[in-house]
Amino acid sequence: MAIKFNRVDFKYKGDDKKGYLALSNISLSIQGEGEFITLIGETGSGKTTLVQHMNALLVANSGSVDIYGIKVEKQAVKKKKIRLNPIRKKVGLVFQFPEYQLFEETVLKDITFGPKNFGVPEAEAIETAQRVIRIVGLDESYLDRSPFNLSGGEKKRVSIAGILAMEPDILILDEPTSGLDPMGRNALLKVFYDIHEKLNKTVIIITHDMNTVYEYAKRVLVMRDSYLVYDGDPVDLFTTKNIENWNLDVPDILNLMHRMEQDLGITLTSRPRSAAALTNALEEVLR
Amino acid sequence: MKNIVIGRFVPGKGFLYRMDPRTKIISLVLLMASAFVIRNFTAMFMAIGFMALLLVAGRINIFRVLSGLRPLMYLLAFTFIFQLLFNTQGDLVVAWTLHYSPLNILMVTALVMLWFFTKRHVKFKFFFFLATLVGAVALVANLRLGPAFATGTLDIYESALTTGFFIVMRLMIIVTLSTVLTLTTKPTDLNLGLESVMSPLKVFRIRTEEMAMIISISLRYIPTLLDEANKIMLAQASRGVDFSEGKFKAKIMQIVSLLVPMFIISFKRSDELANAMEARSFVPGQPRTRLHQLTWGLADTAALVVSLLALTAVITTRVVM
Ligand SMILES: Nc1ncnc2c1ncn2[C@@H]1O[C@H](COP(=O)(O)OP(=O)(O)OP(=O)(O)O)[C@@H](O)[C@H]1O
Ligand SMILES: [Mg+2]
Repeated sequence: MAIKFNRVDFKYKGDDKKGYLALSNISLSIQGEGEFITLIGETGSGKTTLVQHMNALLVANSGSVDIYGIKVEKQAVKKKKIRLNPIRKKVGLVFQFPEYQLFEETVLKDITFGPKNFGVPEAEAIETAQRVIRIVGLDESYLDRSPFNLSGGEKKRVSIAGILAMEPDILILDEPTSGLDPMGRNALLKVFYDIHEKLNKTVIIITHDMNTVYEYAKRVLVMRDSYLVYDGDPVDLFTTKNIENWNLDVPDILNLMHRMEQDLGITLTSRPRSAAALTNALEEVLR
Repeated sequence: MKNIVIGRFVPGKGFLYRMDPRTKIISLVLLMASAFVIRNFTAMFMAIGFMALLLVAGRINIFRVLSGLRPLMYLLAFTFIFQLLFNTQGDLVVAWTLHYSPLNILMVTALVMLWFFTKRHVKFKFFFFLATLVGAVALVANLRLGPAFATGTLDIYESALTTGFFIVMRLMIIVTLSTVLTLTTKPTDLNLGLESVMSPLKVFRIRTEEMAMIISISLRYIPTLLDEANKIMLAQASRGVDFSEGKFKAKIMQIVSLLVPMFIISFKRSDELANAMEARSFVPGQPRTRLHQLTWGLADTAALVVSLLALTAVITTRVVM
């Protein structure tokens, strides 16, 4: 088990004494390889807070998070008993807002910043940068540009490249596709899926797009009001749970199937999760 | 980072929250002036008592104010020590002969080592540091272990102690008062109050509305920028920047990785703020109507009278005595 949450509570220190409870009693475990997880939930439900615990950026007030055998706990971190950097090499986190990450003069320097912090030699880091910049859908001419003159979507891609260059075992992306054009969004999702498929890595994506969840995810986590209210299969989630209560909606494909069933009387035998699969299923039934 | 409370408004109840911002600003100025005029101990202790009373009556969390003073500690300590060393007026209070012998130095080194290795387990680090410092000096002054290869003297004069005390107390009072003002006054009210208080300056063709706006926006953005800095530190930490350790060169790199996004984000913020203000038809210098009118109450008159009395009392005692 690569990451394991044991009854984690987390409070943001606030203006009043109580603080703001952002995580309540979270227990879950995540494998070090082969998982493709989406994390969903309404705005302010604690998704970002949850993933920031996964590479020890935040530390639980009570309970603990085991990350690759290192027990991250309040006391231990306070007394600096554990080194957190090895954790961050293994668990890469792309932030929701790229502005916080970019700071170097050129995109190249920015992408190599992470790997160099983890001791990768300069030449190798540059090679990696040239590779990952293409993976995120930009070309090498971007490497010499200043990260601050890029558009929002380009910044997002550069910040993703900066984490990909670290080659973490577990890749966590906080709303990676917000602010991207539809083509770019699909291409990037494909990239993450490829990383998962080909390298058998674990990928965790925070998203508000139910279609992404339904098409790609093998496992869904649903946050609601600081609680983890669902952890399991996406099909189960959308077909058996009362998701309106959690401010979620139904993926387009499920809606379409429902309509076909009601208005046209077509009942599919399988459960297609993408447009292509839906066409195949339809073909089978109609034939 | 979160400990810095200067400039932060914290919602609450208590009479200070209900008072007119103009009163609070004028009283603040009057009381600060009083703090500067005070020259005798009775008055200073009364002032401190008055501050405590104010915090209690205003139902303000004293610990919050104290933790706001924390960043100031080093400045205060430095000022005090500076006074001790270089002020040579008044009677001689302490005349120690410092005794530098190998054994003494060894003991001081041991003490410093003890401090160094235990400091991370101590809650009040700063006081622990001060105690160690005083301890080291006391060791050298009072113990004569073995032959000394050099001797020095430590002379502390009366005026050094009193001046140091007054300076420290004054600074603390000033910071506490300003903290109380921003803690209990909404930024918009603060802006209104400043504008109104400064309006006589219009005679000199100074654009007081704009100045008030500038002051209140700067105050408002201190905590926001600190929050931003915190977020940037998290983002950089996730890419392997370890803010707690590292060699000197690494430290510089860390600071750069924090400062550059800070600047970029501040510029962007101010740009966005300017646009947002313009989009809501803000034109500098134009007369504007107000949603909330300031109202002057009995408590306000009382507060002003008290502050004025305090100032006159302090001035008269100083002149008479
Ligand atoms: N630095 C902070 N200080 C205080 N409270 C915070 C802080 N960051 C987040 N919160 C609060 O914690 C709660 C959870 O925040 P979080 O960022 O984890 O939400 P989220 O699920 O990621 O939302 P979104 O979908 O908008 O990104 C929110 O209600 C937020 O107001
Ligand atoms: Mg978020």
